[in-house]
Order: sequence, then structure tokens, then C-alpha cells
Amino acid sequence: MCAGLLGAAAWGATSHARYSVSAAAAENGATQVKIDNFSFEPKEITVSAGTQVTWVNADDVPHTVVSNDNKFKSKALDTDDRFSFTFAQPGTYEYFCSVHPKMTARVIVK
Amino acid sequence: MKGFLGTQASFATDLNLVIQLAMGIALIAGTFLARAKRYKAHGACQASVLILNLVMIAVVMWPHFTTLVLPRIPARLARTSVAVPTVHGILGAVAEMLGLYIVLAAGTDVLPKAWRFTRWKLWMRIEMALWGIVLGTGFGTYLVWYIGPHR
Repeated sequence: MCAGLLGAAAWGATSHARYSVSAAAAENGATQVKIDNFSFEPKEITVSAGTQVTWVNADDVPHTVVSNDNKFKSKALDTDDRFSFTFAQPGTYEYFCSVHPKMTARVIVK
Repeated sequence: MKGFLGTQASFATDLNLVIQLAMGIALIAGTFLARAKRYKAHGACQASVLILNLVMIAVVMWPHFTTLVLPRIPARLARTSVAVPTVHGILGAVAEMLGLYIVLAAGTDVLPKAWRFTRWKLWMRIEMALWGIVLGTGFGTYLVWYIGPHR
């Protein structure tokens, strides 16, 4: 139970801040960004090259995931819809929601 | 492009909202022109709003509706984020078509006499009431989609 509470506290502490993918996430080659309350959470993640990142829309309104340089672009994601992209090359990938352009975030690939 | 009203909306959406409010004011001003018996100015004012609204439908509202709302009907129709814009879209289409009919019937000779109504005031008042409801549901759509809370 304590572990659960600590885990929840840790999630709360990192959900609005920078976030580096844990060893477990890096090992299975996937990580997740939650779209909730008009924001991407976390706003910044750091992953290794070859990692697949998945966005999940938890909002009631549709959102999109569009990179500034058009390297990836989702369709309109309905509630609980997912969009995945594998980052093969290192770099910083800025992205936004085309429906709500103030929603911005980034993926740093090392 | 980011909007200018401080919400989550895009520039086009914010611009559409401002133009819709301005058109609502213009329609009310147009009714005062009719009361002052300035019928030509009244007709020009109301017709200009209808045509501008057609442009806004074509450029902003219809593309948003078809990509973001229509695919969620009927599965998500019970949700506020789908129900409000759906009601807005349906009533808005009726208001636009009725308005165009009134302009054609009252301001031109395009329609045959048999197709024209005679109770002008009644239909124009219905149109104004309908437009008001459409404006309200449009503002409701903006609130739900770009301000929230939405759960």
C-alpha cells in the first residue's frame, strides 16, 4: 500500500514537469504521453533512439499530435484513442495540437 | 496559429467567434433599420450578414464540423462536446437556409410568386429568434471546446 502511495506521489510530482523515461520503459521500447485537460503530460520526455512513444487522449474533446516539422501527424484523436510514433533519430521534436495550438510539448531523443 | 482571446482556440476559431458576435449585433441593428422604414438598408444589412456567414461556414465551421464532430456521431452524441455543436450545426443550417430564402423572397424576383410567403414579419422574427439560439449554441460550443471544464 505504501509503495502504491509513494508511486502515486511520484507520478503526481513528475506529471507536470520534465520526465525521463525509466529504465523499465526504455527496456520495452515504449513510453506514453497522456493528453489531459488541454495539456500533454509530461510536457517533455527524454527517450533513447528507437523508442516508440504513444499518446493517449483522456480528454472529452478531440486532440491531434502534430510535430512542428511535420515528421509525425496524428488524425483527430477521440477520447481514449491512441497515436504512436517511433523516434529513430536523435534530436528534439517539438509538437502541438492543431485544434488547440497553445498545447505544446517536446520529445528529446538521445 | 494561436488565438488572440486567451483561450485554447486557434486564430481562425477566435476570429470566427468575434465575427459571429459582430454579425449578431449587425442583425439587431438591421431590425432597427426596418423599424425606421429604411427597407433597402435593412435588406442590404441582413443580406450581407448571411453572405458573410456563408463564408465563415465554408472556411471555418464546416471543416471543423466534418473532421472533429461528424465522425463522433452517433456513437458519442450523448457527450456535451458532441451534442452542443451538433445542435448548433443543425439549427445553424436551418437558420442560414431560411435567411437566404427570406432574402430571395423579399429582396429579389428570383422566386415565383407562389413560392413567396406573405407574412414577412412573422418569418423574419422566427429567423431572428433562431439566429439567437444558434449564436448561443455556437458560444456554448466555444466554451466546451476551448475553455472547459469539459468533463
